Amino acid sequence: MSALPMTLNTTAETETARIARGLRESDTELLADLVERCQHRLVRYLLYLIGRQDYAEDLAQETWIRVLQRGSQYDGRQRFDLWLFAIARNLAIDYLRKKRKAVQTASSPDDRDEILLVPSSGPSPFEAAAQSEDAIRLAGQLQILPPLYREALLLRFQEDLSLAEIAQLLGAPLTTVTSRIYRGLAALRSAFEEGGDSHGV
Amino acid sequence: MECDKRFRELIDRSFVEEVSEGERRLMHDHIRDCDGCKRYVELTARTIRGLREFTFPSEADSSAQVFEILGRHTETMRQHNVQFRIWAAFAVALSMSIVGSALVYQVAKFLAAPMHFDNAQVQAGVLVFWLLPSFCAALYTLAVPGQNRGIA
Repeated sequence: MSALPMTLNTTAETETARIARGLRESDTELLADLVERCQHRLVRYLLYLIGRQDYAEDLAQETWIRVLQRGSQYDGRQRFDLWLFAIARNLAIDYLRKKRKAVQTASSPDDRDEILLVPSSGPSPFEAAAQSEDAIRLAGQLQILPPLYREALLLRFQEDLSLAEIAQLLGAPLTTVTSRIYRGLAALRSAFEEGGDSHGV
Repeated sequence: MECDKRFRELIDRSFVEEVSEGERRLMHDHIRDCDGCKRYVELTARTIRGLREFTFPSEADSSAQVFEILGRHTETMRQHNVQFRIWAAFAVALSMSIVGSALVYQVAKFLAAPMHFDNAQVQAGVLVFWLLPSFCAALYTLAVPGQNRGIA
């Protein structure tokens, strides 16, 4: 009766073990395969964290270099994508910290805008990525939502991670994770509440 | 009418986590009679659906750029690795030649005593027949020609 779940479990273990071995040996074919499979999700995750497409791409490249350099630290006991996101998250947090420090020491408003990477014109990455009317309405709220809330929403509703997996990745208690998701949802819901609801559900 | 806060929390939980069958039934019974909560459910569902409707186009050559960068880093790391091994081998060979020389000197002195060699002759013998060849062997590990090898 439990044969199928056991088989799936074994396959999953084999896959992570194979990745761990390949990373230890700096297997370029495996790395290429991982980049092919995860790059899009990685850039999307970083975009939700820092809110800029170009910098998300740069940080994604930096993340892959870290994967190559620290591949031997991946022991295959957790999902590879969670490990990858954890590396990307640390890089993004460093980046956001540096940005905050630079803003505090910036001498003029123009310098501050430059550091904050305020886009001068054109749609935000969220507006550009919105594929429906509802998504367009949410894009404005997403852009101003604190990164930690955006991150929690992405991991739960786009990456479809369980709350326990999100808590593990964030290194935060489950209550913190759920609180971020609820607050994020509440902020996004206001996009429909405030702007009137002329569209059917 | 403002609904009991616990129903809103229950609705939120039903979208984010697992709720028990009893809680689900309680929620559905309430929603049936409460327009405010019905709308709350609809808006939450719509928000989550909207979230899933974002498609971020990664730069077309984004993966290709990553491949290229990783390729360069792999090559650099490989070269560093080879160089590290060569220097490590040199360090081992050098220490063996120095420590080995001390041992060989003691053995040679013991063996040379019956043959009436003095200390200077023993030292010269150890220098010529042990220390110099072993030192040259250590240097050879560094200088041997070949791809990605040491200082050659």
